[in-house]
Amino acid sequence: MSDLNTRIKEVLIKALELEDITPADIVDDAPLFGESENGLGLDSIDALELGIAIKENFGVSFAVVNDETKKHFASVNALAAYISANSTNA
Amino acid sequence: MKSIAGKIFFTALSVLYPVLVFCGLEFWGLSPRRLSILLLALAFYQFLGFTRNKSDSSDAVSRANKIKSVALMGFMLICGGIAFFADSMLFLKFYPVLVNLSLLAFFGFTLWKKPSFAFRMANLGDKTLKNSPSRNFVERYCDKVTLAWCVFFVCNACVACATVFVGSDRLWSLYNGLISYILIGVFFAVEFLIRKLMQSKLQSYIPVCELEPNSRPEGSIVSFDGESAKTWGDFVSDVSKVRVFLESRENAPWIVHCEDSYFFMVALLALLQSGRKALVTANRQEAFINEIRKPEYGFITDEPFAGATLIQDLLKTECNEIRFGKFDKGKAEMVMYTSGTTGEPKAVFKLFLQFENELFELVKVFGDEWISRKVYSTVNHHHIYGLLFTVLLPTATGLPYRRHRIDYPSELASLVNEKAVIASSPAYLKRLAADADKPFDFKCSPIIYSSGGPLPEEVARKACELTGFWTMEIYGSTETGGIAYRQSKNGPIWKPFEVCKMSLGENDCLNIKSSYILEPEGFTTGDLVEIYDDGRFLLKGRADSIVKIEEKRISLPEVEMRLKQTGLVQDVRVVPMVGKRQYLAAAIVLNAEAREKFANTPKLEINNFFKSHLLKFIENTVSPKKWRYLEELPQNTEGKIKMRDIQALFEILESPNFRILKMHRETGTFTVKLVFPATSDFYDGHFPTFKLLPAVVQVDMVVNLAHALLEVPKELQKIQRTKFASPIFPDVPVNLTVSYNEEKCKVTFAYTNDEGKSLSSGTLTMQSSLSLPKGT
Repeated sequence: MSDLNTRIKEVLIKALELEDITPADIVDDAPLFGESENGLGLDSIDALELGIAIKENFGVSFAVVNDETKKHFASVNALAAYISANSTNA
Repeated sequence: MKSIAGKIFFTALSVLYPVLVFCGLEFWGLSPRRLSILLLALAFYQFLGFTRNKSDSSDAVSRANKIKSVALMGFMLICGGIAFFADSMLFLKFYPVLVNLSLLAFFGFTLWKKPSFAFRMANLGDKTLKNSPSRNFVERYCDKVTLAWCVFFVCNACVACATVFVGSDRLWSLYNGLISYILIGVFFAVEFLIRKLMQSKLQSYIPVCELEPNSRPEGSIVSFDGESAKTWGDFVSDVSKVRVFLESRENAPWIVHCEDSYFFMVALLALLQSGRKALVTANRQEAFINEIRKPEYGFITDEPFAGATLIQDLLKTECNEIRFGKFDKGKAEMVMYTSGTTGEPKAVFKLFLQFENELFELVKVFGDEWISRKVYSTVNHHHIYGLLFTVLLPTATGLPYRRHRIDYPSELASLVNEKAVIASSPAYLKRLAADADKPFDFKCSPIIYSSGGPLPEEVARKACELTGFWTMEIYGSTETGGIAYRQSKNGPIWKPFEVCKMSLGENDCLNIKSSYILEPEGFTTGDLVEIYDDGRFLLKGRADSIVKIEEKRISLPEVEMRLKQTGLVQDVRVVPMVGKRQYLAAAIVLNAEAREKFANTPKLEINNFFKSHLLKFIENTVSPKKWRYLEELPQNTEGKIKMRDIQALFEILESPNFRILKMHRETGTFTVKLVFPATSDFYDGHFPTFKLLPAVVQVDMVVNLAHALLEVPKELQKIQRTKFASPIFPDVPVNLTVSYNEEKCKVTFAYTNDEGKSLSSGTLTMQSSLSLPKGT
């Protein structure tokens, strides 16, 4: 599980070209978007980019976007849960 | 009186001609010679009508009508004459053919000399048509109708002609006296029905300021989201509720921000109708709202916010009063927000009149393509383009719009069965082009608009492959509204809206005057322009320091000003960058206080400190994504700071292994001040207790920086005259000077310490990319 988390973080950093951040700097359950104490503060453009990167790297796509799927983008943990639940080769 | 009776008599004679001739021949035993009197009488009537109609109208059509009458009369006389003298039946039968041909000539003539006959009739029927935004569409439709009549007359004339030569007199009489009339009747009825159907859709345009409770059918859909929908009845009642609330309070300006398009439109229309000034802001950061909000101002929104009125609460109230109706567009005030060159967020004052005028123009140009479609959006309706295209236009034309934005490219797949208009932006379309691998299976291609920034042609092409529609780009700004439009498949030239008058303003920038710009002198944009004789124009880049980051306009001086507000910044430059996405990057020189404060703080934390400060004022998307902390900003020998140099700094990937503290760049040479921290990977594999920067790392650094800053090829051919005189220690800054001789393809470098003492130096011969052997 934590392997997946690390992979997600690596994909995240690479896809969004994040500077000055290592996987260790990303807190598993911290919010990825918006303002918060320990979050990444990503924006809506990042969200699009991230969706594409998740699809490319994990083969899991977000076909419809509603409040439900937005929850899956909430944190690394939430993403990991969504990916392992929806991945066909898991 | 006499003439009317005569008219009726001769018209009846003309209509009944085939039957009369047949009856005369079959039953009454009249000879063709006698019957030819009938034809000659009709010719005489034509002559009378022609001479009586003395109106010396110079109108081409009435002249054509006269010529038609003369020609028809001439042929009738000839046919009647031959029939009379030869006592021949054959020539009597030509009359219906002649009538058809003369009508064909007349209709055809109006197609050539516009307006066409059907459009003239339409104008007579509806006097308002001339000034209606749907005029062009109606005209095109009427032209088609006129053409269809022409085709009909050709066919009818052919058949009538065939009945003259082939078949019996009975058949001739049956066709021309009955079937032909039935065909005309059916044709007319079908055309009439189609026209009514088109008209009911076309005439759905109602200026927003003239909407009344009964403007649309109660059950017509205003807005939808998935299964649920809001009807016109809901809309009228919801606007009423908000109005009742607003009007129970002192008249004061209201800030409005609703993510939900339906709530937004309810709030906005209620504000406009009740004469409240509406401040429309996309930015709902607390600090920004507090900055624009005076104590007496209200704030209506659909997301919880301290001290704001939640629109959902207002709509929950029980209220049966209908308070909904016209308002004075010339007095309804609005404010839109952009960012200004001055550094302060710029408020743009608007009268609703300006939007109404623009809506009229948009309906005129695009309206007929929108008929019976639904409106979707990927953009924010708090900005002018989103406001016009995704809520005001649908409201004015009665088209349903979706309450929530489309966020993801893949979501388009859910619209394949809809007839859609999609107001989009380059940011969305770029992602669509990158993300989708196969075309969407649209039953009916959507109409896609894009505004906010230039849409690269290849993106438009890809989007067209995916959706079947070549995106229509709109060029405009908050201050000017829409200026021009283009589809890049037709080239990069913009076609202005008819009401927009272009001219060259200050500094070769585009000046624009239109019915939706209040200032009589027009508005000069920051866009460099080349205007052609026909009014179309080419854009040649922006002249000021406002940049667009993913379609969001931001003024660089504003971000810099906000950073300085922290009291920790000595100097700062913010530059726009383009990578996978567009973003801002900030190069900061910390002041003494900050250097002390952040002495042992990791860079990430310093970034976050500045970022959280900025987020109080500006949106996340336009807040800098990359940061460099320097001892001084890059400048040339004249002390000029060039944006290009700062951008170059950000193009060198930040690494935990080294930091650049200063940079000077001139043509063919640069100096950087570098520091290699003790934690750097560069020291690995050497003496762990006595760290020195390896020579190979020093050379590699030269190659990489020379490539990044001077565009030197990266392939190293040979290393000459290298001297590594003194070691480079961790955390001790060094200066690296690099020069490049492009002709010889040689790079010379020197590392010196702060006192100017040489630590190492050498010459590198690079592999010229030009001299690579062919075929490799």
